[in-house]
Amino acid sequence: MPVYCPGFSARRRSLLKGLGALGVGLSFMSRHSLSAEEKKLNFYNWDTYIGDTTLADFEKATGIAVKMDLFADNDELFAKLKAGNPGYDVIVPTNDNLERMIKANMVMPLDMAKLPNFKNLDAVFQDAAFDPGRKHSVPYLWGTVGIGFRKSKVEGTIDSWKVLFEDPKYAGRLALLDDAKIVIGSALKYIGQSLNSTDPAVLKKVEELLIAGKKNVKVFAKDNGQDLLASGDVDLTMEYNGDILQVMTEDDDLSYVVPTEGAEMWQDCLAIPTGAPRPENAHAFINFIMDPQTEAGIAKTVQYATPNAEAKKLMDKTYLENPAIFPPAEVVAKCEPALYLGEDVTKSRDEVWTRVKAA
Amino acid sequence: MAETLKPGSGPLDYGNRLWLKILFVAIFIALYAPIATLIAFSFNTDKRGVVWRGFTWDNYEKAWNNVALQEALLNSLTIAFIATIIATIIGAMAALFLWRFRFPFKPAYEGVMALPIVIPEICMGVSLLLFFIYTGMMGWSVGMPWPLNLINIIIAHVAFCFPFVAVVVRSRLVGFNRQLEEASKDLGASEWQTFWNVILPFMMPGLVAGALLAFTLSLDDFVITFFTSGPETVTFPVKVYSLVRRGVSPEINAASTVLIVITVIATIIAMKLQAPQKTGEG
Amino acid sequence: MDSWRGNLRVFWTLFTPGTFWLLIFFIIPLAWMFGISFSEKTSITETEFTGTLANYIRSFDAIYLQIIWKSIWISVLATVFCLLLAYPIAFGICFVPVRWKPLLLLLVILPFWINLLIRTYALIAVFRSQGYLNLVLGWVGLGPFEMLYNDGAVIMGLVYVYMPFMVLPLYATIERLDRSYLEASLDLGGSQFQTFWKVTLPLTMPGIITGIILVFIPCLGSFLTPDMLGGANAIMIGNVIERQFKSANDWPFGSALSFLLMYVTFAALALRAYLAARSKGVDV
Repeated sequence: MPVYCPGFSARRRSLLKGLGALGVGLSFMSRHSLSAEEKKLNFYNWDTYIGDTTLADFEKATGIAVKMDLFADNDELFAKLKAGNPGYDVIVPTNDNLERMIKANMVMPLDMAKLPNFKNLDAVFQDAAFDPGRKHSVPYLWGTVGIGFRKSKVEGTIDSWKVLFEDPKYAGRLALLDDAKIVIGSALKYIGQSLNSTDPAVLKKVEELLIAGKKNVKVFAKDNGQDLLASGDVDLTMEYNGDILQVMTEDDDLSYVVPTEGAEMWQDCLAIPTGAPRPENAHAFINFIMDPQTEAGIAKTVQYATPNAEAKKLMDKTYLENPAIFPPAEVVAKCEPALYLGEDVTKSRDEVWTRVKAA
Repeated sequence: MAETLKPGSGPLDYGNRLWLKILFVAIFIALYAPIATLIAFSFNTDKRGVVWRGFTWDNYEKAWNNVALQEALLNSLTIAFIATIIATIIGAMAALFLWRFRFPFKPAYEGVMALPIVIPEICMGVSLLLFFIYTGMMGWSVGMPWPLNLINIIIAHVAFCFPFVAVVVRSRLVGFNRQLEEASKDLGASEWQTFWNVILPFMMPGLVAGALLAFTLSLDDFVITFFTSGPETVTFPVKVYSLVRRGVSPEINAASTVLIVITVIATIIAMKLQAPQKTGEG
Repeated sequence: MDSWRGNLRVFWTLFTPGTFWLLIFFIIPLAWMFGISFSEKTSITETEFTGTLANYIRSFDAIYLQIIWKSIWISVLATVFCLLLAYPIAFGICFVPVRWKPLLLLLVILPFWINLLIRTYALIAVFRSQGYLNLVLGWVGLGPFEMLYNDGAVIMGLVYVYMPFMVLPLYATIERLDRSYLEASLDLGGSQFQTFWKVTLPLTMPGIITGIILVFIPCLGSFLTPDMLGGANAIMIGNVIERQFKSANDWPFGSALSFLLMYVTFAALALRAYLAARSKGVDV
């Protein structure tokens, strides 16, 4: 007896929808036919992750009013959509989460005919290992997870994960992200392994490293490491590059580095979740984002790297030549994307994380 | 005996004891210092809200013009208002019959009634989510016009609020002298008249306390709402949760300050309205 | 107490609404989840009922028991502090002149209306290393102290957040305390302390017990407070459960842990019932 099965409820809902459509179809046309789509769009995004005028510009251009709702992390996005789409049209999952959602049929295939601006993207971003042939997604922004620190409070050069995982010098002054995947991945890089390693012996080693190093950690930050850094609560933190760059504009004493051992290189994508009520509008919105003007406006605000070749042409030098946004080739070479490794790995990593936190 | 001559130092005048006054002041400072900070920082020019940089009204203007924040606030207040009314009525009825009647399996029934208080919020949130999806209520409510699309959240809030109301009202009813009720009936009052004229006035402080509790629980709830809300039904806590992870912005402080002012006024009005009614003490 | 048969019409009128709501919107969803705790994951989003006990066996792993134990003592401490602070407040409010009561009650409940997340963030602003408290302490040459990101901070946060839960039921009980008992005790030569210990406290026990339940239980299942105020060691069972429903995406295990937590709560309730029965036996 299948106890929980969204397929079942989806079928049930589509049946209801079908009956409804039949009823409506007898007199008028179905409300799900193309021209009947409401001038609305529900966009589910990260916070501070859109241009200042992007949504207003889109409404001006198409008449479609965008309602943006915010999620805090990939897990929240996944949890919200796992049990069925409550009404979102466009979402912004990170690569490994997207891979998981594709496997679970939680995102719809895109209609490339409706996305002419796709040609503006850098050639390297026009295909992706996690979404072969870009059937379900287009890239939005990309970046790294490294170390943000206060220059006046550290000695020497900060260039290794050692300061976060092993060095007692900064005990009580550092924060790690409260994200099992990223912390374990970074620790794997530190001991010279792939961040996608599933070897139990290697994971055991990482667990011991993290438990031993935990006494130095002040707090596991809920993606607010940049605030802890800015307010002086910690002097070193594991964070996403753009988050640190945003506080660097207010405080010259802060800096960001990708450790020499390498780090996670992620890519956030735009996708349409299965069951989206307004797929037409969703396509129009995704296409609008890939417009060079729009994308340049977004990149200027959020300080993350854009995959849009045409948009880059509109950006100034300080953005394009910032190594914290576009890391140099030798750094990129050491970085890796996270892969979706299956539910069993998620479970074993979660157990490692529970033991680390409870130790 | 000279003691009793001094005003305010009678054996039961605890309210005038110095140690109590000091304790009051200390506790209220502890309760309010963080809130005062919050309000002060709503006037801060620093957009991260961490360091004081200067005075401004801009945050209020921004909060006022923030449509998403307005909608979330309106949703929260609507939900809390409706859920409180339903929860107070249902909770008071439950308290009344648990207090008044003996019936088979009563201890078991009471145990079940206490469950919504006992169970971790997250379990309740997820179990309700499963329920709404399985019964099709999730998809069904999405397309409804406001405020009908809030129905799932209101149902969920009533489910966890009314047992709290029942507990509070019942602990008030325990002190009721049932001879009053008998006297009322002996004097020819009907069941309804007795309830309306004798029991209800006695219950009133419990009802008000219960309703206030339900209102605050509903307004403050994040976990259960998070699991049952969709893009059209974002509440204030859910909105705030998505905003504060990048630090408290003075804009949210400003919105909270407005919310505080509204609730203070509403509560004062409620208390004024309630004050003239004399409650018949047991 | 009347027999339910005595007045069927009144009984059913009062019985139906609460029971209906409880059954449809609480028991059924919960039973559904109970089923899931005996299920296995078959794919990313699907689970299948197999009657397996694996989820429960996993939850008896030493690590989870240790976390549950820690959650219990943190909640106990938070509840005790709440009671110690709330009792004098509730007591004081009952004995101040009538015109002050609404204002004082309002002052107690008011913080409660502000969103929990914002209040917790406000706490952070006051207590962090470069917060206001350390600033003030710095003027007199003390500190700075590390007051956040440890278990003490979690307890403080829980006390701050759940205090009104304790004050309200205590106030409701003390308010209807018959003061002639207190006068009688004092007149008969009892000291203030004896009067409090032998008369006031036993008579207000129902309110105390209600308050303890209302505070202890949400503390036990809390996860936002340890999340935001706790340090590297701050993990309570609520956090583990939350992760099962989010990042770990293991609803069967999360359901099993939830039921385990519920059993712990039942044990606490049973203990309370036992204590209440015993204290009644002594006092009456």
